[in-house]
Amino acid sequence: MSEAPSRLHPLAVLVFARKRIGASLLPILVIAFTWRGGFALPVLGVVVAVGLTVLVLEWRRFTYRIEAGRLVIERGVLRHTTRVVPLDRIRGVDLQAPWLHRVLGLVQVEVEAAAGGSSAAELTLAAVSAEEGERLRAALLSAGAREEATDDPRPALVLYRATPRLLIAGGLTSGRYILAPLAVIGVIANFADDLPSALGDRLLSEAADRVPTEALGVSVLAAVGIFLSLVLAAAGSLLTDWSFELTDDGDRLVAQRGLLTRRTVAIDRSRVRGFDLRDSPLRRAFGLVGVRVIAGGVAGGRPGRTALAPVIANDDARVLARAIDPLAAPDATLERHPRAALPRRLARAVVVPAALGVVALALQWWLPAAVLLLLGLVGVPLALDRYRQLGHRFDGNRLAVREGSLSRRWTSLDPRAVVSYAIERTPFQARSGLCTIVLHLGQGAGSRRVLDCSEEQAGALLVALDVPLFAPFVARVASAAQPA
Amino acid sequence: MILREPALQLDPRVRRLWALEWGLVAVGAAVLTAGVAAPMALADNLLGAIVVALVGGSVALILIGLAVLQPRILYRRFHYEISDLGLYVARGSLWRRWQIVPHARIQTVDTKRGPLERSLGLVSVAVTTASAKGGTDIPGLDPRVADALVEELARRAGIDEGT
Repeated sequence: MSEAPSRLHPLAVLVFARKRIGASLLPILVIAFTWRGGFALPVLGVVVAVGLTVLVLEWRRFTYRIEAGRLVIERGVLRHTTRVVPLDRIRGVDLQAPWLHRVLGLVQVEVEAAAGGSSAAELTLAAVSAEEGERLRAALLSAGAREEATDDPRPALVLYRATPRLLIAGGLTSGRYILAPLAVIGVIANFADDLPSALGDRLLSEAADRVPTEALGVSVLAAVGIFLSLVLAAAGSLLTDWSFELTDDGDRLVAQRGLLTRRTVAIDRSRVRGFDLRDSPLRRAFGLVGVRVIAGGVAGGRPGRTALAPVIANDDARVLARAIDPLAAPDATLERHPRAALPRRLARAVVVPAALGVVALALQWWLPAAVLLLLGLVGVPLALDRYRQLGHRFDGNRLAVREGSLSRRWTSLDPRAVVSYAIERTPFQARSGLCTIVLHLGQGAGSRRVLDCSEEQAGALLVALDVPLFAPFVARVASAAQPA
Repeated sequence: MILREPALQLDPRVRRLWALEWGLVAVGAAVLTAGVAAPMALADNLLGAIVVALVGGSVALILIGLAVLQPRILYRRFHYEISDLGLYVARGSLWRRWQIVPHARIQTVDTKRGPLERSLGLVSVAVTTASAKGGTDIPGLDPRVADALVEELARRAGIDEGT
């Protein structure tokens, strides 16, 4: 089968733009609308014009075609690249419609391909029309004669099922859902400043007249505000993860979720490399955690695709962990990292805000000074906990690593998943005899690190992970080859 | 450090390559500074012009300092080695990084020659893995050394895949 090269849908330019701008859009808009200087608009105009030109060029240079049993993608404005994937290597074609795509009637095509031996790659066509997406899926999958990854998951063994109660608890204890309404309010407040001044002032004074000033009224208002944000947090959690269900049919883990848009993610068991247990201080207090899978070809950056259980009770999480990976040891005691790691945690959590706070004091900016000094104060227990959480353990089969406090992550990893190793050492670490080991996992599964372990621990761990590989490089084998 | 240093060094000419790169950036900074300061001075914004010239000038000076110092330090602190099972690269002085890429995980071995490298007769070798950040590169090699390196890496990667 051969065909002429096709381009993405012209509206893909908008999708490119959104991807490029992403999270920085809001700050840019806020600056653009709040900046009173004369430069802002012309500068913004130039930036937009240049950006658009680049995006259009990018769209023009991106072509794809199916020829001689291969998918060929060419792209690149300055540096031209060509990617060729034999159709029989394609494992799955995923059509997705994020909100912008849905508005424009487009779909994003994600092609999951095994690029030989142990490795997989994901190719993305950022935006094609819905019909073209369907056509591509049929064309790409027919050659490989593979079943569709998300088709007809035979529910076998249910590993996890979210109850509404659990999801509400999850929403109320999740920083992401709690803070979302605050962010919205902040943005609205910022824009309110830029409404025509008479209107803005009138609205403000109207509102001010109605704002109660006596203690009772203020506390009622605050209570209503807190209640509303809690309701929104619970609703957000319910909406995204409604009747989340994780099943295991022997070959694949299948996760289904969502109230309005039902999403299904299927993960080959053979590609599971490990999992993360994530929690926050609030969740720890209620004995709740979230479980995410580490798997090749399941784009680790997007939490929506890796969640095995958005929120689950601690004990159930242990059971789930063993069901996913019988060799995992979620209760094993970790080897602590040296005390020298504590000053580094303190330096980050306390010294930086405290120093900025002192500067603000010197400049007599009272409010920022107070906030920064308070942050510095809160930083002390935070740093202590961050240090306390550091740890790792390798039992010969699985590597367990833990770090973080506000967002704590306990990782269980199959060391055979490691694609390459790096040891990093900053000048500060060098002074205290510490280093950080980074394990790159490949296939979009990201990397995991062993933060601030001693050099002896690093040597011992690396040699234990892969004896023949590291033995020639280890300077002091005798001291490093102690049992892990 | 618990790992011993890799045995091999880059071609000494790589120092000239890095110095040239930093020098070009310094020239760019100087040109940019002049391009901003001159119109400001013409528009009678003398204070602004002086501030821009001072800031830009010191940036350019720092870059020239880097062009002198960085290549020597980095050259002395850049080592690499191939063992039976992996490629081992150590680089950086204050911020140091040791990378070990098992041959079995290497996907591609490329040689690259930029215009500057070509003018100095140097080649850099880049190794990629299934992880975007898991690869590494060895800049500034003599072409014959680079060819031998690519040959050996490809051979070992191929052997380990059992093909």
